[in-house]
Amino acid sequence: MKDVLTKINKAATGKFGAQYAEARAQKLFKTMLTLKEGRVEAAKQGIENGVALRVLVNGAWGFASVGSLNEEILTDALSNACKMAKTASLRLKTPIKLAPAKTVTDNVKAKPKKNPSEIPMEDKIKNALAFNGAILGFDKRVKSCSVDYLDLTGTNFFVNSEGSSIEQDKLYVWSRITASAQSQGVFTFSREEIGSTAGYEVFDTSTPQVIGEMVAKRAIAQLNAKAPKGGSFPVVLGPNVVGVFVHEAFGHLAEADLALSGGVLSTNFGKKIGSDLVTFYDDGTVDGAFGSFKYDDEGVAAQKTLLINNGVVSGLMHNRETAQKFNTASTGNARAEDFRVEPIIRMRNTYMAPRDHSFDELLGGVKSGYYFKSFRGGQANLDGTFQVGVQEGYEIINGEIGEPVRDASISGSTLETLFKVDAVGKDFQLWPGRCGKGQTAFICDGGPHIRIKEVVVGGSA
Amino acid sequence: MAVLESNEMLSLAEKTVKLALKKGAAEAEVYVYEGQATNIGIDLGQISKSNRIIDRGVGVRVSTNKTIGFAYTNIVDDQEALENIVSRALSAAKASKPDPDWKGFAPKKPYSSIEKTFDSKVADLGSEDLVNVASTMLDSAGQVNKKVMAIEGGVGNAYISNAIANSNGISGFDKGTVIECSLATLAKDGNTVTPVCFEFNAARTYNLDPAWVGREAAKLAVSALKTKPIETKSTKLILTQFALQDLLSYTLVNAVKADSVQRNQSPFKDKIGQKVASEDLTIYDDGLFPSGMRTWMFDGEGVPHQKTPLIEKGVLRNFLYDDYSAKKDGKESTGNASRAGYLSTPSVDITNFHIMPGTKSSDEMLSQVDDGLIIYYLQGAHSSNPVSGEFSVVATPAWKIKNGEITYASRGVMLAGNIFEVLKNISVIASNERQMGQLISPWIQVENVKVIGK
Repeated sequence: MKDVLTKINKAATGKFGAQYAEARAQKLFKTMLTLKEGRVEAAKQGIENGVALRVLVNGAWGFASVGSLNEEILTDALSNACKMAKTASLRLKTPIKLAPAKTVTDNVKAKPKKNPSEIPMEDKIKNALAFNGAILGFDKRVKSCSVDYLDLTGTNFFVNSEGSSIEQDKLYVWSRITASAQSQGVFTFSREEIGSTAGYEVFDTSTPQVIGEMVAKRAIAQLNAKAPKGGSFPVVLGPNVVGVFVHEAFGHLAEADLALSGGVLSTNFGKKIGSDLVTFYDDGTVDGAFGSFKYDDEGVAAQKTLLINNGVVSGLMHNRETAQKFNTASTGNARAEDFRVEPIIRMRNTYMAPRDHSFDELLGGVKSGYYFKSFRGGQANLDGTFQVGVQEGYEIINGEIGEPVRDASISGSTLETLFKVDAVGKDFQLWPGRCGKGQTAFICDGGPHIRIKEVVVGGSA
Repeated sequence: MAVLESNEMLSLAEKTVKLALKKGAAEAEVYVYEGQATNIGIDLGQISKSNRIIDRGVGVRVSTNKTIGFAYTNIVDDQEALENIVSRALSAAKASKPDPDWKGFAPKKPYSSIEKTFDSKVADLGSEDLVNVASTMLDSAGQVNKKVMAIEGGVGNAYISNAIANSNGISGFDKGTVIECSLATLAKDGNTVTPVCFEFNAARTYNLDPAWVGREAAKLAVSALKTKPIETKSTKLILTQFALQDLLSYTLVNAVKADSVQRNQSPFKDKIGQKVASEDLTIYDDGLFPSGMRTWMFDGEGVPHQKTPLIEKGVLRNFLYDDYSAKKDGKESTGNASRAGYLSTPSVDITNFHIMPGTKSSDEMLSQVDDGLIIYYLQGAHSSNPVSGEFSVVATPAWKIKNGEITYASRGVMLAGNIFEVLKNISVIASNERQMGQLISPWIQVENVKVIGK
């Protein structure tokens, strides 16, 4: 495979006049399951082969994706990509350049304890049914339960015109478990995800009992929850909500392509934008975590990147193109969902560093506010407005957890809110998730429990 | 790569059905998809990217003994790969559990003709043509105001075709085109950055106004620069199509799907024939709407598309069915089985969700609002409760309407409520119909929505 890709890159830089060329070939196998109330809607398997070609010609990108490993088809796609790049470059003011990167030759093997491709379909179905059993068996008021399962295994070949040649195994195991409950006209909904790059052994710790009960319990507890009051309140956020807050409110703004697009961080590099307690990382090296990998889709090694240090903006997430604009090196954040799409800057495992408070100490500082434990969705805007939805929340009254509240969300301006973080816990959790930015990326986010002095809570009461 | 012709697509589908039956399937259904798309991309104010994506594949669904298996591949020109996925679909089915409600694949029915879904002019556009459209759009945005940055966007055309065959004799082929251009902007003034504003054109046939797209995207960003805080209260909202698309896709759309109803996930359960919304509201799911973004002859199971009344004058009329959910209720499929190309099994989804226009123009609607907000873009709609319809979202931004005129923008404004209450509080539906993805709708005015300011 690598020989064909090397030949294609040679043709790109030789015959077709590209300054840079890269070829990414993938052979992927997927197993998917969808269960609804224990009914196996379909047991699914997929085989995908394809190649992504990317060339830089006259300072503009050309990209082609074809579902074929055939040399003739690839050469045809290459010639077309180079021609398109030339056309696209006609009105270019600032030609694209790439920051230098180390040339790498490597072969990265996945080492799962339990390889999902060796687990029989029957066992995967049995495991998914166990989630369903744990949820529907929890309480009669639980009315529905969906279990989605995906495993993806395969090999990724990366070859570029600078001499890098990387063969890298891909391995992802993912599951999403949802439940709805209903009682006296009240509808509630609860969800958790499981995700790992280690192997099928993730289900040894995230067992159907543990996760199933978590999902069902929440759906039931929300039946008696009330709508929160809208307005500004002090809040304590759990690691699951902190993770999404870090990812949405800050992470996206620290993606160098979005910073360049006029995002609020473009003018705040090196400046203090949060309290001393705020330290964030984006880390591609956490063993087995859902957002981890050895090399990104430009062949650059993943690393642990410091984004904010004690409140000061210290780093952005880069690919080779944005790194060149900032006169720095790529941080290994260029990721492509598959061979159908171009690599773009994506987060990996993004988290807040813990400090020294206990959970009780965090609650103790709140007279009247909310404890938001688990999120449902979140979104950011380049102007620094964030929104995080909450699927599990409680009132805090005089430092004690009170009654549950449902369907709340928090919102605010990142640059104001990070200064309002006034206490950070000593615990730490990472949660797997999926991030959408035109393409889907598997990620983790997390942190400790934290307290924010004041944030806007969207509630209908 | 040349596209696969209809006879090639159909024979691939039919041949694979036969292969599956021969290998032991009780029933088989084969879906073949091809997409060829070209896009010219705008990044940081300039045209600097181009891509061409060719994707084709085959998805095979089989049943054996009321168990269902599915397999797909994107290797379509190789007999061995086809044999392989047929075997995998069968082995998946054998590993699965029987479904007592399974009553077979969809029956064969005649297809209606559809209009304005394919345009050879769109299919034949070259990258030079697309670069010209992108330039017009960018230039037009640049002429509005120097404070505007065109951050990203693009112009693209796509040819899509699909074929389906099953062991009940269904055999269908359809092809279509899509062309679109879009521009995302923001405006910067000193330290003030606006939220991202966005405009686009998307059509099945060649029908673009890139200068309008560029101009409007820029104008919206400029108008978001001047901001003032607003107070927390219940108020009138004018929801534009952008806001409606976001709010409805995660709430109302779920409620009208028969599988949500059957699974106790819809507040509309047992409410057919009852009033669920203001009597001004009439909604059809119309899979045959001329030039609709989701208009095709048939759905993901080869069932003909149709026009289905969902809500008429506020009264709930029907749910949307695929073949499985229909048979479960003793009904016929409404042609609402949707697929993500060859990669997925079908599931219930809307086609073109058509909210019928009223008689007032949008200007008239605006001029009669003394005090309220107009909402374009929302943030966080996907965090709504998909079962109860409760939402808590941020308007990015909200524009204040005072005495019939749009005055200033307000940032960080949250809207909270329940979509099913909002439907009852619709007071005016305008006549300015616009297609946005799966939604075809005019602006809608609603009363008494809780707004949380700063």
